Formats: sequence, structure tokens, C-alpha cells
Amino acid sequence: MSADDGNRGARAGRGRLWVCAALAFVTAAYAAPLLNMVAVSLRQASSAATPGLDPLPMIRDASGRSLARTSAAYWSTLGLDAARNYRDVWSGPGSDFPTYLRNSMLVALPSVAGAVVSSCLAAYGFARLRWRGREVLFLILLATLMLPQAVLMVPQYLLFRSAGLVGTFAPLWLPSCMAGAFSVFLLRQFFRTIPAELDEAARIDGCSHLGILWRVIVPLSRPAIALVALLQFVASWNDFLGPLLYLNHQDRYTLTLGLHLYLAQQNQVPWNLVMAASAITMAPVVVVYAFSRRFFTEGAATQGLKE
Amino acid sequence: MGWDRDQSRRAFLGAAGAAAIGGAIWPRVPRSRVMVPPGRVVLDYWEKWSGTELDSLQRVIDRFNASQDRSFVRVLPVGDLTTKALVAIAGGDPPDLLGMLSYSVPLLAETGAAIPLDRFSPALDTGAYLPAVRALLSYGGRQWAGVTSVYALALYYNRAMFAQAGLDPDRPPRTISELDACAARLDIRSADGRLERCGFLQVPVWWPYFWPIMFGGVLYDSARDRAVFADEATVRAYEWVASYPDRLGLSEASGFASSFERSYHSVGDPFLSGRLGMIVQGPWIANFARACAPELDYGAAPVPVVDDLLDPTEPTGLLEADVIVIPRGCPHPDEAFEFVRFMQQQETQEALALAHAKSSPMADVSPGFHARHPNRSIRVHDEVMRSPRVRILPQTRIWKSYADRTLGAFQHAWGGGGLRESRRDRLLRVLRGVESEVQGMLDHAARLRSRRAGPGGRA
Amino acid sequence: MNGSARAVGRGLLFISPWLAGFCGLTLGPALLSAWYSLTDTTLLDPPVYTGLSNFRRMWSDSLFWIALRNTLVFAAMNSIGVTAGSLGVAVLLHRAPARVAALARAVIFLPTVVPVVTACACWMWVFNPRFGILNSALTAAGATGGPDWLGDSRFALASLGFMSVWVIGSPLLVAGAALREVPRSLLEAAAIDGLGSGGRLWHVTLPAISPALMFNGLMALIWSLQLFGPPLIMTRGGPEHATLSYSMYVYLCAFSYGDMGYACALAWVQLALTLALSAAVLVVGGRFVRYRTT
Repeated sequence: MSADDGNRGARAGRGRLWVCAALAFVTAAYAAPLLNMVAVSLRQASSAATPGLDPLPMIRDASGRSLARTSAAYWSTLGLDAARNYRDVWSGPGSDFPTYLRNSMLVALPSVAGAVVSSCLAAYGFARLRWRGREVLFLILLATLMLPQAVLMVPQYLLFRSAGLVGTFAPLWLPSCMAGAFSVFLLRQFFRTIPAELDEAARIDGCSHLGILWRVIVPLSRPAIALVALLQFVASWNDFLGPLLYLNHQDRYTLTLGLHLYLAQQNQVPWNLVMAASAITMAPVVVVYAFSRRFFTEGAATQGLKE
Repeated sequence: MGWDRDQSRRAFLGAAGAAAIGGAIWPRVPRSRVMVPPGRVVLDYWEKWSGTELDSLQRVIDRFNASQDRSFVRVLPVGDLTTKALVAIAGGDPPDLLGMLSYSVPLLAETGAAIPLDRFSPALDTGAYLPAVRALLSYGGRQWAGVTSVYALALYYNRAMFAQAGLDPDRPPRTISELDACAARLDIRSADGRLERCGFLQVPVWWPYFWPIMFGGVLYDSARDRAVFADEATVRAYEWVASYPDRLGLSEASGFASSFERSYHSVGDPFLSGRLGMIVQGPWIANFARACAPELDYGAAPVPVVDDLLDPTEPTGLLEADVIVIPRGCPHPDEAFEFVRFMQQQETQEALALAHAKSSPMADVSPGFHARHPNRSIRVHDEVMRSPRVRILPQTRIWKSYADRTLGAFQHAWGGGGLRESRRDRLLRVLRGVESEVQGMLDHAARLRSRRAGPGGRA
Repeated sequence: MNGSARAVGRGLLFISPWLAGFCGLTLGPALLSAWYSLTDTTLLDPPVYTGLSNFRRMWSDSLFWIALRNTLVFAAMNSIGVTAGSLGVAVLLHRAPARVAALARAVIFLPTVVPVVTACACWMWVFNPRFGILNSALTAAGATGGPDWLGDSRFALASLGFMSVWVIGSPLLVAGAALREVPRSLLEAAAIDGLGSGGRLWHVTLPAISPALMFNGLMALIWSLQLFGPPLIMTRGGPEHATLSYSMYVYLCAFSYGDMGYACALAWVQLALTLALSAAVLVVGGRFVRYRTT
């Protein structure tokens, strides 16, 4: 190994150290707001509003002395405070978070099922069938990706109103059951990578197109389908404008709408409870994300850029 | 290794999915339905109140629910209610009853979003209300809403702080210049110049359109359907608003004011925590004072007016009301009206007013009302409400748009130091801008009215 | 010919879910909205045809101009911030050891899946002038407290722009994927030519990934022109309308002022604006983008 090589190696090592340090900073900055939220959700109302960067609150005992971080009393008090906050949110008057949670599920799960089925069908039509007009329609589909959805807020609302669907989950289900442009695009790109010989073989065996889709394409496209399902789940779970416009009665609120109205209550809810409610709202998506991270962070975008 | 992790992950996701589906289809009755006795018509009632104010409304509602066996009122606190209510009415999916603010009455009336109460029988006795309250509930000669509570603003001041600063605690300021003088004596700055305590500030900014009234402005000339927002009174009002950040330092004053964000009516409230000597507030503050600062020694007085308007016997002020409306598309209008009627009884009104520490909207007040009232200064509010000089907000459907623009003007006055032109010119330009714009909206609304009333339109 | 007609029929049948959605939920509402924009439609009354008066009203509507300006400013901040930020983070991730990168990527992507209401609650606390971690961090760094980020009209919109850079998951993935596809041979050739790592980034990597950056910028632009949730939840458009966004104003006009016809007219202007700006970005940006010729 020459001296020059060693020098370069040392430089590369130093560079890598810098990269890691910068990355650690960025990561910490991205995690801080959420960690802070969880930290505040554990505190008592009186200590929620204290300045400083310390994630853990100062806890005083009955005589007003502050408890040491290492003492068992400190942690048991903290645990009890946290439990009280979450219980207050969960069963507090005026809000009904258990019902909101269930409604979010009721919105998200059928949306996912509808999105997967409809997108698979449409993507098959765009990827595996040859017919006149296909390219034009696909271009239109791509163009709708660029259409700001907010533009359609009022007319869609009036349309659902004239159909008598305001106040039901249908306005939240229907758009996702109508094969969203991005899902179709994603699946089409994936379906096109599957060799055409497989279709032919299946057709010789007497499969219909639906049969081919179900027996050949779908089993080979599981990662892409899973991604579509996950994206739809996150989109439905996180939807805010939809519930804001279409859900009116408390027994229909989803978590996002429930949390918004909880935040917007006239006599403002204390911060520690707001944070606990926020943590409850985000917990399901975070859990799903934690166990399916690789679907999100690998593969999603590469498919989207091929053309 | 990878296989193991994949397996366990798949197992977990499967279990989570199953749990989610289970949770979604598990028969669970929403908490709101649990309490309803069988056989009753359920009336959904959305209120903007929450917390203790909602609790006391709930007690009144409990009395209604117990008083008859036909219907059952279920109240729900809804944040940002005025917008959410219109979304629901427009969608044809409203609740039975809506607790709105009185300024919404003209909009609801003109767009046909509410059912006029004179359509029901037996009719309500409108003579029982105070005249100003009656005016708030009506539009175009019809009554559109019942009242749930009313308030006139007053100046609350910290008596202990007055005494300590050498001011007479029994003589609160009556005019704007007295207010300024008192405020200046109550300011305390720390050694490094930071504002620790402030005599007076125009916080909370819930009523940005309030100050022109105290300077003799009218906001709206209903006879000529003209917006009035750049007259001398309004200019003087906002110039006076601007004088506070001027005196205290803009960034200091803004920082001080905004540090109370989300802490009004709590332990951190600027007035209740003793960091603000005087504040313009509604009568409900007494309830929060008892809960958060029981030791606070405070008094109340009519809000100071500009010096030449002072008339101690007839205080000027602004009256606003919380109202209850039966929206169009209401599933059970007749039952809903029964509840409105119940709410309009003097006894109900006084019970709610006592619980909320507000004045009664009725002309007659029962003998024990003031003695039992939790706000010992309630007579100050009553005096303003009953004064011939009490004002109500412009009764036009565009008031919300108007009010949103007055906030812009208020904040311009607060934060806008002119650079090239003089302060007054710049302020005047902003106010004139608001005025002409609001006039445009008024004209538009008038054109619509005539078009709809004209041939082919709905009468 | 018969076969081709059958093929078309079959194709249409398969894509019918999308086609139905497109006609019923996009094209139909868009046409409906075009009609409403020419009328005066309040909450419940039938529409009254008023010609172009809704569009004329915009001219003298101060809030329209404020909302437009705010949205453009936000869009500029957001699309530049997100594109540049995601590129920077992607470069870091690309150079970091794989395990470190995987962990960091997992954390940085997380805000992208968090509901917007939660994110807003979270950031309202971050921005709190007295207790927020932003000002606490400034104090810890030696400053004498920071401004009231959301309550001060000079900072509020910029604060929302700052917050929006928190959500960079998708552009990060696009940029990361593009970075991985930069041909090694090109980088090695550049190194042999004596280019340092900065030079390689500027002369080789950036041109190679420019289509991805273009895509990110365009998507961020389209997204940010629709800004709705954060100002509604965090500031209600205030202070001094400093954070009133265009979509929020459309919502307010429709549902707070009960002026649906005007809201539809506003929405059409928003659509035209989005298309025009996207086209401008494509044309101007197209000069700098080098598509690989394969």
C-alpha cells in the first residue's frame, strides 16, 4: 500500500465520520418533534409548559422537593402521570377516541381493499392488454396526477350532497375504490416487468384474463401490491379534508377529525392531553410503518421514475 | 435469519390486520348513544362550548330531558363550529340544534340555512327579551334564533395592583386617557428591560372590531347599507391601539402578548396570573378566577370610552349573544323547537347565566339573581346591556368576512410602523381599503337579495 | 375489426374503475365547478347565473391577493427547500455506511406517514415561543430567546415553510434511487480527471440525477400550491392573514362565508395557476435537465 493510498484512506475515513455526524444531526432534528410530543404527553399539566430541552419533567414530591431521576419514586410518578393523561384522553368527556379509532379503521380498511382490487384491474388493462386508445387514456391518467385535488373540493362536495352521501363514509371510500392514478401507475410499471410468456402459457391452459391476473400477475407482484395497500392505508388514515367535509356527527368522526376538533375546542385542552391524543392518533400508522418500512423506503420511488 | 424476521413480521402484520378488522367490526356502541333512554327522539345539539361551560349547559339539558319523555337532547362540543355547522347544513346532514354566535343569524337567515322560529307554535314571547337581545335574534323582521347566553364586555382590573401602585382601587379608569395613565403606572420592567408586568394590552384579540365602537364608530350604517370603517372614530381607535406597542416596544409587547397563547382562562391567563393589570373580558372570567386564582382581588367597570363620549349613566358597549338555531334539514324540528322554548324560559336562562357567570338576557330578572350570582361585578355588565348606548354587531350576512378584515386592520395597527408615509396616512389607507372592499361585498349581497326577490327568484 | 372492438371493450372494462372515478369524481366535478363559477351559489339556494362577476370580484378582493401571495411564497420556499433538502439528505445517506443509512432513513421517512393533524399539534409545541424546543434550543445556543414563530406575522409563513421541509420522505427516495443509478464509470472517470468530491457532485452527479430533481421540484410545487391543513389547524390563517393559504381561502369562502360559486371560481384560478406554473417549471427547468440517452 503506498503512502498516497493510506492518505486517501484516512481522508475517506474522516469524510465518512463527517457524513455520519451530519446524518446523526439531521436524524435527531427529524426525530425531535415527535419525541418531544411523546415526552410532553407523559407530563402533568402543570409541568407540561416548562421551557428547556430536557425531555423528562421535574417531579416534586408532596413536600415540594424534586425527586432524583434515579429514584424509583420518580419513575413510578412519571408512569402514573402518563397513564392518567392517556386515560383522560381515552375516556374523557366531550370526545370519544375509542370510537374515532374504530371509525378510522372503518374508513381505512375498505379503502385499502377497494384500492388494491380496482388498481390491479386497471393496471392490468393498461399493462397487459393491447387495445386502441390505451396510450391516450394512460396519458390522461398521468395528467390527473398533476391535478390539485383541492380544486375539486367544492364540486365534489356538491356532487356527494346531491347523491345524499354527506355524513356517510362513502365519500371517503369511493375515491380510493376508483383506482387512484398513482397506484395504477405503480402497478402498471410493475406488471410490465413480468414476462409476457407467462400470460401466453396461462392462456393456453384456458385461463381468462381475470384468471391470468389472479393466478399469474398478482402472485408475482406481491411487493408492489403491498406497497399500494400500505400507501392507501396511510393516505386514508391521515386524510383530513375528507372527514372535515363529509363527516358531521361524533359517532362518525375519524381520529384525524376528532383530534382536530379536540385541538380546536373553545376552552383549550391542556398541552399534555393534546400530545397524548396526537400520540394515539399517530400510533397505528407508526406501528404499521415500523413493520413494513422496507416497502416504503425501498422500491417505492424507483418504480415511479422509470419513465 | 432474514427468513425468520420475514416470518415474524408477516405474522405480526397478519395479527395486526386481524386485530384491526376485529376492532372495526366489533359491535361497540359509541359513548354518545349509551345514555339515551329507549323510546325517545334523540336531538343532536352541537355547541361551541367545552369544559366547565359545557358541563353547566349539560345540567340544564338534563333538566329538560327529565322534564318530559318525548325527546332527549344530546350535546356535543364542536371546535370551529361556525364553519363546521355550515358544512353540515349545506350537506343536508345537520344536527337538530346548533349553538351559533349571534353574528351568524343574518347569514343563516338569508341563505335559508335556518328555520325561522315564528313558523312554530305556540309562538315565543319576544317581549320577554331585552330590546338589544331581541334585535340580535331577529333579521328581516323574523326571529331566527333563541338565546343561550349573552355578554357585554367590561374592563377587569386588579385592585391589589392598583393599590400597590398608588391608584384608587375604587376608581377604575372611565375614559381612554385615564386608562392609558393607569396602564403606564402598572407596567413593570426587569433590569434588562424585559416587560414583566403590563398595565393594559388589547389582548386577547378576540374582538378586533371592538375598539372603534368605544371611540364612537358604528362599523356599518344599516339605513344606507354602507360600511363605515375609515371614519375619524375608527382611525382614532386604531391609532390608539398602535400607541401600546409604541410605548412598550413592538417586539416586547408582541412577545408578551403572544406568550399567553392557549393559556387564556387557565392558570397562565395574563390577568388571572397577575401579569396584566387590566383586561377587557366577558363576565365569565369570574368563574375562571375562582378556579385558577381564588386570591385575586379584582373589580370591573364599563370599558373606558374616548373622553368626549363619557356618560357615566349610559355606558357604551358591545352586546353579543350565543344563540341556538334550528337548521334547515333538521331531522326533528318540532321536538327541537320544544327544547328552544325550554331554553327561552326565564328560569332556564337564569340557571345557565348563573352557571356561566353571565347576565340574563331577559327583561325581567328574578329577585335573587344578583345575590346568587358568582360574578360580584355582574351589575356592571347588566348596566352596559341595558344602556341605550349598547351596540350590536352589523346585521349583515357578510359580517364574518368583514370581521376577518378588521382583524387585518387591527394587526396592521398593532405591528405596522410606516416607513415612507406617515403612520396615519398608512393606517387610513388600510382602513379605506377594508371599507371599500366590505362595501363591495355589501353591494354584492344587496344585488343578490334583489335578484332572488325579483321575477324568477325565490321570494 | 370485430376483434379490435372487442379488445377495446375489454380494455375499457378492465380500466373501468379508474374511468368511472375519472369521469365521476374528476371530470364531472370539474365541469360542474366551471358552471358554478359562473353563478352565485350559496349554501342551499339554487344557483343564479351571474356571468363572469365572480372572476371580476377577485380583482378587488384583498384576501384573494393575500392568499395568492402567501401560497406562492410558501410554494417557492417549499419546493426549493424540499428539493434541496432531500438532495442533501440523500447524498448523506448515499455516502454513509449501509446500516447507519438504513436507520437514519427510517427515522427521516417517519414524518411522511404521520397524520397532518398530529404533525401540526407537534409543531405548534415546537414553535411555542416560551416552551417550544426551537426557542429552547436557541436559548441553549446562547440567543436571548427566539421570536414567536407562529404568532408573529413576519415569521408565521416562514415557520410553516420550515415545518414543511420535515416531510421529505418521497422526494428523498426519488433522489436516493437516482443517486444509486449514477454510473460508477462516470464518477471514476471524473476522479481520474482530477475532480474532487465536490467537483464530481457538481459536474457528474447533479446532471445525472437532474430528471429526479426536476420531478421532485414539480411534485413539491404542485403539492405546496394546495397547502391547506397546517394553516387551518395551526394558525387559522393568522396572524394578520399571514398564513392564509389559497386552498384555505377557498374552503372559507365556500363554508364560512357560504359563497360556493365564488369558491368554485377561485378553484378554477388555482387550477390554471397550477398548470401554468408547472408548465413554466418544466420549460425553464428543462434547459438544465439532461435526460440520459439510452
